[in-house]
Amino acid sequence: MDARPRHLHPPHTTAITSSLAGITTRTNKLISVRPLRARYTPEVGDLVVGRILEVQAKRWRVDVGSVQLAALPLSAINLPGGILRKRTETDELQIRTFFAEGDLLVAEVQQLFGDGAAVLHTRSLKYGKLRNGVFVAVSGMGGGGGVVRSRRQVWTMEGANNAGKMDVILGVNGYVWISKHVETPKEVEQKHMGITNLEENVSATVYSSQNDAIDGDTMREIARLRGVVTALVENGCRVDEDMVVRGYQEAVEMAMLSESGQEDIYLGGERGEQLAAALRGN
Amino acid sequence: MPLDTSTYGLALLRVDGRRWNELRRIYAQIRTQAAADGSSYLEMGHTKVMCVVTGPSEPGPRRGAGISSAGGAGGGGGGAGGQSKDAEVVVNIVIAGFSSVDRKRRGRSDKRTLEMQSTLANTLAATLHTHLFPHSQITISLHVLSQDGSLLAALINAATLACVDAGIPMTDYVTACTAGSTSTYAANDEGADPLLDLNHQEEQELPGLTVATLGESDRVVALVCESRVQISRLEGMLAVGVDGCKQVREILDQVIKAQGQKMILEGTVDKGTGLNDMDLD
Repeated sequence: MDARPRHLHPPHTTAITSSLAGITTRTNKLISVRPLRARYTPEVGDLVVGRILEVQAKRWRVDVGSVQLAALPLSAINLPGGILRKRTETDELQIRTFFAEGDLLVAEVQQLFGDGAAVLHTRSLKYGKLRNGVFVAVSGMGGGGGVVRSRRQVWTMEGANNAGKMDVILGVNGYVWISKHVETPKEVEQKHMGITNLEENVSATVYSSQNDAIDGDTMREIARLRGVVTALVENGCRVDEDMVVRGYQEAVEMAMLSESGQEDIYLGGERGEQLAAALRGN
Repeated sequence: MPLDTSTYGLALLRVDGRRWNELRRIYAQIRTQAAADGSSYLEMGHTKVMCVVTGPSEPGPRRGAGISSAGGAGGGGGGAGGQSKDAEVVVNIVIAGFSSVDRKRRGRSDKRTLEMQSTLANTLAATLHTHLFPHSQITISLHVLSQDGSLLAALINAATLACVDAGIPMTDYVTACTAGSTSTYAANDEGADPLLDLNHQEEQELPGLTVATLGESDRVVALVCESRVQISRLEGMLAVGVDGCKQVREILDQVIKAQGQKMILEGTVDKGTGLNDMDLD
């Protein structure tokens, strides 16, 4: 039931009027309109990148580019010292040692409040605090040239020109994180063949706000990848794994041909258009 | 009063060469600012305005400036913003010092600006589906770059475009334009013609009103009249104004559809399925 005053509705007709400018899709008798552009609407299971804006007594408030701030309860994070550790009052007092204002994190939408606000969780080693990289915000969600929901939102790719591996996280909300690849505890475990020190390992690194040393080559390639993402958005391409990976290869080749060689990471203006054209051509 | 418009009776042409029922050239653009949620640029003749919409988003710290709509639950007061059930519409208008012929500094507390802000906030709060966004705020910032009459109408049209661009659901387009009458209040001639879309000079000399309507309907959502008008002329002016609003709606609709078509052609969004035409409304 719509509780709006009567006078706000169109006059009595059977015609269907859209309240948004967008693409209509008809499935049998259901007509839906996807807006050309809108803010991100959270859905359960979405992988999002967010920034802590506020620290409260038992939870954080996270900006995920949505209509409202998302909540991250203290009970929904992995506490250092093992997954099964009980939450204590000390943790509540030390809440800022886990996440403080301005920290970036990757999380999953666990549930939604009645008014559409999201509750996040980071109870997996895949999620948690972000460091060693760069943040890019693109318009997300159905909107023009944003991040689309897809099978893979997180992947690791090889950097060109002697750079190390890079991690890319495409948040469904249009926030993107590109960072130096750090071996996940699972990989470490496979190397050391021991599980006893795994938990200590997690606690030592997960909530650290200190960047690791990143060599210049990797930094340059991270910057190049960021340029690819912004160029895709500027030229109205969708941002998904396929486009970013191909765009990166294309960008590396474009840099080879330019005068300053691999150091040339500029992808704005004409070069961005050139990149987008090359990707559309394929 | 030296009335340039007094020559109207000779050739039935206005000072800028238009007939009584002609609009000035309207040029509009949406998505002018990539970083904003929604943005637009609109010219009605030499009146040029720019609009940026932020939100709906979590209300930030209140800055005091800006007029907000009452928003259903009476959240228009001091610090209680954001807690209402409906989204709050906050409008900020900045009039550039260079926008008119005589350079005038207008502070944030200028009465005329405040009045326009509250008119806009109330109009939009009634049209936008604010009930879909509880505890949030929609901020509409308008910048006036050049003034040549019909300022409020231009602001309303620009705000409508920017809200459509921001993807905020609304009942229909809100379009506005002005209407006036060829003779002054005191003059008692019977054959006074109504005029559509007043420019600055006409606005100074002749009685006029600003009217905003909803979509293709005749329903008036805002009506502002700040001059003395003979009651017998009011009906004609209103009719002409409402008709002008429909013409403006067509123009704005074209702008939105052109943007949608451009995005489909570029492959930014998929074409709709199941409907046989490209219905972008």
